[in-house]
Amino acid sequence: MSGARTQPLSLPRRRAHGRLAAGLLALALLVIMCAIHLGIGSRFIWPGTVVRAVFAYDPANFDHKVIIGLRLLRLLSGLLVGAALGMSGALLQLVTRNPLGEPHVLGLNAGAALAVVLATTLGLAGGTAFGALAARPLVAAIGAGLLFSLIITASSAGRDGLTPLKVILCGVAFSAFAASLTSALLILDEQTLADLRLWLAGDLSGLTYAGLACAAVPAAFAALGALAITPQLNALALGENVASGLGVNLRRTRFAALGAAALLCGASVSLAGPVGFVGLVAPHAVRILISRDARLLVPLSAVAGALILLGADAAARTLLAPRELATGIMTAVLGAPVFLLIVSRYFR
Amino acid sequence: MTSPSHANGYRRFALGPVALLARPVAVLACLALALLVMGLAAYAVSRGSYAIALPDLARLLRAPDTGTREQLYILYDIRMPRILIAALSGAMLGLAGAAMQSITRNGLADPGLIGVKEGASVMVLAVILLFPAASVGWRPVAGMAGGLCVALLVILIARDLSRTRFVLVGIGVSWMLSSIVLIFLTTADIRDVQTALVWMTGSLHAAGWPLLSVAAIWALAGTVILFATARASDAALLGDGAATGLGVRLRRLSVLRLAAPVLMTAASVSCVGSLGFVGLMAPHMARFLMRGNQVTLLASSALVGALLVLAADTIGRLAFAPLQIPAGIVMSVMGVPFFLLLLWRRRNQL
Repeated sequence: MSGARTQPLSLPRRRAHGRLAAGLLALALLVIMCAIHLGIGSRFIWPGTVVRAVFAYDPANFDHKVIIGLRLLRLLSGLLVGAALGMSGALLQLVTRNPLGEPHVLGLNAGAALAVVLATTLGLAGGTAFGALAARPLVAAIGAGLLFSLIITASSAGRDGLTPLKVILCGVAFSAFAASLTSALLILDEQTLADLRLWLAGDLSGLTYAGLACAAVPAAFAALGALAITPQLNALALGENVASGLGVNLRRTRFAALGAAALLCGASVSLAGPVGFVGLVAPHAVRILISRDARLLVPLSAVAGALILLGADAAARTLLAPRELATGIMTAVLGAPVFLLIVSRYFR
Repeated sequence: MTSPSHANGYRRFALGPVALLARPVAVLACLALALLVMGLAAYAVSRGSYAIALPDLARLLRAPDTGTREQLYILYDIRMPRILIAALSGAMLGLAGAAMQSITRNGLADPGLIGVKEGASVMVLAVILLFPAASVGWRPVAGMAGGLCVALLVILIARDLSRTRFVLVGIGVSWMLSSIVLIFLTTADIRDVQTALVWMTGSLHAAGWPLLSVAAIWALAGTVILFATARASDAALLGDGAATGLGVRLRRLSVLRLAAPVLMTAASVSCVGSLGFVGLMAPHMARFLMRGNQVTLLASSALVGALLVLAADTIGRLAFAPLQIPAGIVMSVMGVPFFLLLLWRRRNQL
């Protein structure tokens, strides 16, 4: 752990092997989780059949049809949403230097939801169906980015700058504000309520391949951008003065990281609605189990986020068997205790 | 003879053997606030989809037999309970916020912020969804049990009331509980969910006389506890050592002063649903309007709280005329800028 802190720009070789192994293990776990996720449902399908369905698709086999036709879309969306949330959580924690940074806690989810509801109410994202789909991730990202920059501006006031407590209090207040505006809009406009009610609960349902593709493109760009600035984020972890002494452009790095976080959050919100706490748990798990190095933390948080989201989704669909819980509820039930743990560990 | 209390504006009012030390300024200010509340209530009663002119209103209140049947129905069965319950729950929330802020010595403490509201919501939802036949009288009881449990849980986890961790733990616990509320809402029968949703958003339009009487009983109990301990908590503000020296039993005082706000918040949540920010805003506004001891603060917070909720409900009811916006939504739209102002004022301490 301390090796990564004192020498952020070069990995000791022995550690590097261990970390490679850990990363590969995480990926293997993710593949296994995918197989389980595809198999779970009102009709349980064994993992062997799942693998055969993916690699040797047989249209005549009913199980294969269920997996490819019905469940694959949910799996892919879950992967994208979880990875985007995990990565944006890692970015937010690194940039705000706040262990509680997370799209839900910091108000990005609420801003994105408000923007989407507002756009739907005004019919801005209307026009063609494809235009609406393509615009939704961007609208969500703009909403998330705007609300988050408001929160950051409000909470950097004062002598000590951006303290964790101020960021969270502002995040809670602005989230409440955005949420109440959202519900006011929904009460005033029944059509939008009918369109968006399921989506607002934070659930992986009502998905389409077109929507997935439209969310995947901005998410991919944001992920590439985020991976490109990880060395600068490592330097930023040493403190602002050290970072600018090492030649990091603070303003540009922060702007890039926050933009990427907003885009990732927008992509995930446009697909699954506001899903909380994945972005909180994933980076902490990676940090405790594998590494604090941003170059590993950011991509592995994506893997861990996908893992957590798929697990939560599988649990949400099986725990109360004939009924399905919304995915966002499951992640909140799992994530809120983690929030409490982190609070009692970091705030004494 | 000028004593310190005389110099601070206190005057002695004596009526036979009973004497009272009070400040005429504060008393007059509270009376003015009360008049404002009554004026707003009269306006709110008279306006709506069926307008009752103010002279008619005065006549109807004095002699009920002179009105038409629909006038009487609208006045006594629809608008009066709603407005009374708005004022009552606002007063309860204001009192609870004032007591909570003085006992935790934390200006951002609000019973709503530390999960009491969500705890009460979970229990009331359980009553609504699992025992749909139970009368409304059970809701405050269940809500208070839930609120007390959650307050105890938050205190146990945070272990210290005046630190920032207290607020953060409260936020975390309320997130967890609101996900439990969502589980209830997504799995239960859709008709019960509709009842629950109407109640949840802090809407007052289900108010009626039975609910009002239930709320009034609990409000009375909480108010008595708070005003009875007001002198002791004035002393407690001097610090633990000084208060113990003055003969205050600190442990009993803090138990009472934590239990009363939790009870009142839970009662108001169980009656009208969740109304955020009132408990946070009212004491600060009251302190801005008048300074003074706990009695003044409690009385003026209650009045300001009543004024706030009444205003929020009236705006929500009249602004988008045929449609009604729940008071809770109006309240948080008004409350967030205020919260930010509070944060701004203590930006160097957090």
